[in-house]
Amino acid sequence: MRVSVQFYSYFKDLTGCAQTEESAAEGSTLADFLKKLFERFPGLAAMERSMLVAVGVDYQPRGYVLKDGDEVSLFPPVQGG
Amino acid sequence: MKRQLTITNQPIDEAALLSERCVSDGMGAVIYFLGVVRGAEGEKSISAIEYEAFQKMVERQFHLLFDEMEKRWPIESVRLVHRVGVVKVNEPSLWVEVVAPHRGEAFAACQWLIDEMKRVVPIWKKPIS
Repeated sequence: MRVSVQFYSYFKDLTGCAQTEESAAEGSTLADFLKKLFERFPGLAAMERSMLVAVGVDYQPRGYVLKDGDEVSLFPPVQGG
Repeated sequence: MKRQLTITNQPIDEAALLSERCVSDGMGAVIYFLGVVRGAEGEKSISAIEYEAFQKMVERQFHLLFDEMEKRWPIESVRLVHRVGVVKVNEPSLWVEVVAPHRGEAFAACQWLIDEMKRVVPIWKKPIS
């Protein structure tokens, strides 16, 4: 299945893009998916521990099982105010 | 609890917000907080901050926070305005108003909302020299 990915803040600089698509095997978790993305975008790997991950408009844990059509967003800690 | 959320690239119009204030007879506390862009980030002088937001998720996360506020305190209303785009030094980037029966819950709810906003609401700052 194909999963769309959006990057925010300086993650756009690390990846060189604001959005992309990546394939994922059926039953893949976010953790599996991130591992695949880190191979494609090595600059993101160093941010893994502080990285926030959302699917749609909700935060999801790394064990979340991806579904076809999911929109994954990756971003650094937030800084509103 | 009445709630009003505005994410805007326009300057925050405090006078208009104050004129639209609505407080019922049972309410004894109205507090509001204004967050203003400082002229320095760390030790470096800046002229502005550019705010970036993941708009749909910002709205979702703020409404989850408002839901939680409503459970924790007897708040009558909350209004929150957050700027996006470039906000110059000395200009407000955030305006929050909480109306409650007593000051304790109004202060506590406002403080909690801003703390939680900085933890979960997807808005980011980029200083501009």
